[in-house]
Amino acid sequence: MIRTALAALLALALAGPAWAHRVNVFASVQDAEAGEEVVVEAKFSTGRIPALGEVVVEDAAGTVLATYPLEDGAARFPLDRAAAAGGLSITVRTDDDHEGYWLLTPADLGEGGS
Amino acid sequence: MSRLALIAALLAAAPAAAHYGMIIPSDAMLSQEDGRSVDLTVSFSHPFEEDGMILERPEAFTVTHAGETTDLLGDLSEATVMDAPGFTLTYDVERPGAHIFAMTPVPYWEPAEDAFIQHFTKVVVPAYGDDEGWDAELGLRTEIEPLTKPFGLWAGNVFQGIVKLEGEPVPYAEVEVEFYNEGQAATAPSELMITQTIKADADGVFTYAAPNPGWWGFAALNTAPETMEQDGEAKAVELGAVIWVRFEEWQ
Repeated sequence: MIRTALAALLALALAGPAWAHRVNVFASVQDAEAGEEVVVEAKFSTGRIPALGEVVVEDAAGTVLATYPLEDGAARFPLDRAAAAGGLSITVRTDDDHEGYWLLTPADLGEGGS
Repeated sequence: MSRLALIAALLAAAPAAAHYGMIIPSDAMLSQEDGRSVDLTVSFSHPFEEDGMILERPEAFTVTHAGETTDLLGDLSEATVMDAPGFTLTYDVERPGAHIFAMTPVPYWEPAEDAFIQHFTKVVVPAYGDDEGWDAELGLRTEIEPLTKPFGLWAGNVFQGIVKLEGEPVPYAEVEVEFYNEGQAATAPSELMITQTIKADADGVFTYAAPNPGWWGFAALNTAPETMEQDGEAKAVELGAVIWVRFEEWQ
């Protein structure tokens, strides 16, 4: 299912207008005081950080689980391992309409599989 | 022995190609769809002829990312590469950005050249759509500082770099260029075209346009001021700054 989401997102990315200023997205799981959290980082190909935007989190079926604000190129949210069991698709849309994504696969989450 | 047979025997015994330290990654530009690791094949070879030589465990093998250099020497696994001893390594790529893998080999005694050869070798692998740090200088004794991103090039593009020795540009440095002829798909009409030689300009800048997709090795060669002893005699030490650059097929 996560591959379906990947294909759809890739199609969107390819249809997008601005490879020259694409936004690169990376997400990782880090330990936090209140448990684990997903840390999302975004930056343009120029190295500059997008000031504002939103982060859309979907599960492997493509269901939107949550949206978060992107501030200074970053966002953090708690990791719900039950909801993320099949992996998470994390899309960043900047206020100037650039878009990129990162897939946290089950392997990235230490769940086995890929 | 006839003159013809003598020439044939000499040709068979001594490849006309140049020596190259080689670090060839399994993926020239790692995307998230490619996975989370890259496999490296490390050797000392004649790349056009796929003729391997013995590569001893290097003095140093590192990766530099975001200004931090990590020792990977202990992660090298012995392997046979081009029918000769070499190494492999699987590196887990944890963060986006350019990862510069570098090897400092132990000097190799080459009787045919009556000299030692030490090739400081590197390759740059960008990860997850981010190439920041691609032009970082590692501070190797001799090094090619790329002026062109050393990946993401079309065949036919030019690659430019600055030859540096002890941190300083080398005017009119000699740079050998050779194609990694995997599968022996390419043939050269003349031995002179197996290894091409170009010279840098007065600022140590060289330029080369690769005619074919694949991995191309650039080796800038200088002679060390010091000598090393072999059989009780002082011998010259060739210092090579090597970088491997991938050119892609136009699609």
